[in-house]
Amino acid sequence: MLYGERGGVLKFGGVIAGCAALAVVADGIFRVSTAEAAPLRPPGYQGESDFLSLCIKCGKCMESCPYLALRPAPAQYGAAVGTPILNVREQACRLCEDFPCVNACPTHALRDVEQRSDVNMGKAVIDEDLCISFKGMRCEVCYRACPLIDTAITIDFRHREGDGIHAIFAPQISDEDCVGCGLCVERCVVSDPTVAIRIEPA
Amino acid sequence: MDLSRRTFVKATAVALASAAATGTLSTLVGCAQPSTNATDSATSQVSGTTTTVGVCRFCGCGCGVLVESKDGRLVSVTGDPDNGSNLGLNCIKGYYLGKILYGEDRLTTPLIRDDSSTKGTTEGLREATWDEALDLVAENLKSTWKNDKSRLAFWGSGQQPIVEGYCTSKFWKAGLLSNNIDPNARLCMASAVVGFMNVFQTDEPAGCYHDIDETDVFVTWGANMAEAHPILYSRVEARKLADPDVRHYDLSTLYTRTSANADKVLIFNPGSDLAIANAIANYLVENELYDKDFVADHLQFKQGTENIGNSFEDGYDASDIGSKVDAVEPITFEQYAERLKPYTFEYASEISGVPAKDIQELAEVFAEPDTKILSLWTMGVNQHNRGTWMNHNIYNIHLLTGKIAQPGNGPFSLTGQPTACGTAREVGTFSHRLPADLLVAQEPHRRYTEAIWNLPEGYLDDIQKPGYHTVKMFREMSNGNLDFLWSAHNNWAVSMPNLTRFLGKGDKTGIMDAFIVVSEVYPTLSTQYANVVLPAAMWVEREGQFGNGERRTAVFEKAVDPPGDAKWDLWMLMEVAKRVLDGETIGGNDAFDTLFGEWYDKDAADFKGTPREVSRAIWEEYRTFSNPDLNEKAAAINKENKLKMEAKQLAPYDEYIDNHGLTWPVREVNGTWLPTLWRFSDGNQEDGFDEYGVEQYGDHGKANGVSFYKSADKKPSVVFRPYEPPAEMPDGDYPFYLCTGRLLEHWHTGSMTRRVEELDRALPEALLDINPADCEKLGIQDGDMVTVTSRYGQFNIKASTAGRTSPPEGVVFAPFFAEETLVNLAVHEIYCPLSKEPDFKKTCVNITKA
Repeated sequence: MLYGERGGVLKFGGVIAGCAALAVVADGIFRVSTAEAAPLRPPGYQGESDFLSLCIKCGKCMESCPYLALRPAPAQYGAAVGTPILNVREQACRLCEDFPCVNACPTHALRDVEQRSDVNMGKAVIDEDLCISFKGMRCEVCYRACPLIDTAITIDFRHREGDGIHAIFAPQISDEDCVGCGLCVERCVVSDPTVAIRIEPA
Repeated sequence: MDLSRRTFVKATAVALASAAATGTLSTLVGCAQPSTNATDSATSQVSGTTTTVGVCRFCGCGCGVLVESKDGRLVSVTGDPDNGSNLGLNCIKGYYLGKILYGEDRLTTPLIRDDSSTKGTTEGLREATWDEALDLVAENLKSTWKNDKSRLAFWGSGQQPIVEGYCTSKFWKAGLLSNNIDPNARLCMASAVVGFMNVFQTDEPAGCYHDIDETDVFVTWGANMAEAHPILYSRVEARKLADPDVRHYDLSTLYTRTSANADKVLIFNPGSDLAIANAIANYLVENELYDKDFVADHLQFKQGTENIGNSFEDGYDASDIGSKVDAVEPITFEQYAERLKPYTFEYASEISGVPAKDIQELAEVFAEPDTKILSLWTMGVNQHNRGTWMNHNIYNIHLLTGKIAQPGNGPFSLTGQPTACGTAREVGTFSHRLPADLLVAQEPHRRYTEAIWNLPEGYLDDIQKPGYHTVKMFREMSNGNLDFLWSAHNNWAVSMPNLTRFLGKGDKTGIMDAFIVVSEVYPTLSTQYANVVLPAAMWVEREGQFGNGERRTAVFEKAVDPPGDAKWDLWMLMEVAKRVLDGETIGGNDAFDTLFGEWYDKDAADFKGTPREVSRAIWEEYRTFSNPDLNEKAAAINKENKLKMEAKQLAPYDEYIDNHGLTWPVREVNGTWLPTLWRFSDGNQEDGFDEYGVEQYGDHGKANGVSFYKSADKKPSVVFRPYEPPAEMPDGDYPFYLCTGRLLEHWHTGSMTRRVEELDRALPEALLDINPADCEKLGIQDGDMVTVTSRYGQFNIKASTAGRTSPPEGVVFAPFFAEETLVNLAVHEIYCPLSKEPDFKKTCVNITKA
């Protein structure tokens, strides 16, 4: 592989990576310590209590995922340790057309998915203070990466204050259409102090 | 300007504060820093941080940037709020621009390949000293030159800064008396150039980016501006927001991000745009809806050679038909009307697949007398087996309706490289060109060049025959007919078409025997085929100049030193030239000193001054081409031969730094150098009109207040160009058209942007966009690996139906930025017979599951 895993400045690259890692850990801790918060689950997930009552931690969904997006939940998840979760910043769900993870599930903890629109892993949420598209930069990486482009994410063109000759290309999430695959999170260029888009699990 | 620097800084303060909170203030990304007062001129220093003015390294938009450096490193690169075009904004590539310097595998020492059989691998290059590398390059160039100078070549670029391109051209054309020099701009702009020259006898658009802010209707022809010209497209969207009546028609062979927000999308069969444009012209003429005064005052009509075939054979240019493609003959307006007659809406619809009523709707828009229309186009029109013709056909419509060279009205040919205009076109680093639109084949042009280059009269007669254009150059190399190739500022082993042939993967293995020199900043596929790699200073590691798509020349100042032993390309050129020209004379004087002695001391192996002084000295010589009064002999030739060289007048060097760029022609008015926004348009120079050009060479009081003073008889040519089909059409064996192109996150072959981790994350792989119905027929799913095979070669790629680009059935799209995918292994090198620009948009392929 020719292309640098670390394209940026050495001096600062570590700091950025460190911050990103910290953010991920902090995120996990937050979720564990908040009673109602759930981790991000694979397609076919029907709610946390339903899922935990059915999942036998067999790992078949993880084995079936061609993108290795599904990982066993680590120890801090307590009783849920070993159940499938996603860290979409590292590897998003790619919404395979035939949903091998759902088909692999022997206990129907993952079920009722025939097409992409049946999936409800969560909803993407943009942090408009961090998102550089909202500052007028031509980014919109989340929009172009979205497997449901022009449906789950659209662009709202807005006037740029004090600038008559440029528009803001503001990405907008459709709560109705976003299925929470997280490809937008994986691709987002902003990581400092956190990624500018996240998935709120269903 | 609406947005003050202070407002801009305030607008980005949130990001800055966030960065500061985590201790990563200097992350090199595009937020303006509040601590500097750098505004409208050169370097400023605040608390150990130096701010210099620059221009983005990437596309033809030419966005201004401010560069902050400290202790020899860049600490930030931000949009320049005082640049009138981008007002401090960037696209995602420009936002991370500063990081391109700091990829971990920068080339910092010269490399030599001792065993040519290791070409095409990552092995075989060893470190060397500059002396060893330069001696080896010069020895090979000199022996080839002395033996047979048809066997040497230079392949340059629309990314080569102006003074570097100027010196390279001077060395090749005057030093080596060779025309085997061509830029990669041949791959993207040549059809536009030939179009301009045929129609107007002068290159580059009459209008400027302000036209976007003032037009009523946008027509994008084969241009995915939303991705390829991001900040300009922000202007397009701002214009649409400002006036809900503004309309946007997108004509394309596939549905792109530009189509996604157009008011009407016309998806046409590849190549049929010629017929659509002729149907519009036919409607205007047949219904007498053209601008009669404009036609009477300004236009002449022609037709040219037709049924010109395609360049399948290496000998096409010299063939019976290939040698006649440039011929034209005058016709009357009535004859032109007669030629258009077959192009009814129905006929155009039949060829194009676009509903006749949609073509009619667009024709009716062109017929609206008071509606301002801006046509914008790039690679879809230029990379076309009839690319020059399609440029003609767009001009024809705008000329017939008089919608040209006035604010908001114009046919605007966009560029893709930062200095395709400034260097490749204006300096003239093409195989048939001399500086400032001059041609090697024209005797007065050679005399004029000799006068400025201080050469004996007749010295350049040796180069009156054009050299190898790009495809010819690589075809000859693959045939074993080139012994020496030097490339710089490009990555031909990824960007050239038909790489199966040119990389020696078939039966033509000339690349293994040719001595290849590659000046580069990172290891690329091209360096894998180099015999010598020369490590180059990158972007602001030296001073340079770019000329963007709106005729705007801008300087980027040197901010930091290059890493390790990497050197300024200009120094490498001087050192090779010095060695090759050792003992040679021109008119009895030392050859090297005659050409370069004013700014280079060959004994000291160094420049005679700072990079600023050297750039200024070279610029002053170059600008003599467009300021003939600076050279008595040149002035006489200009006058005698009516060359009208002032049509491209350039200002003294420092004006460009002080003004953050100026659009030519630049005129001195009461001691102030004023740019021109609308060429040929009569009006006050202070307001951006071409007052002095019209005064000197044109006429006042002509229709629409314009005067095409550079055109023959002051009349641009409407040339009838028919529809002729693509070089290949889909058949049972190769049922799909493969179209290649660019996406927003990466620039060109990705050798810079893929080394920025954020951009690599944003778009890590090249995908083949394919219609879901085709997927079903082929039994493939989104995400499946497929093999794409043409008559020329094949590559593997992952199929996608996500819809970022949505081709109709029978068309597939892939970007060319990814060397591991290397789509050009399968793309044919068939070129427009007039411009010699390859058609990267219509190779016929089949697709199978890999």
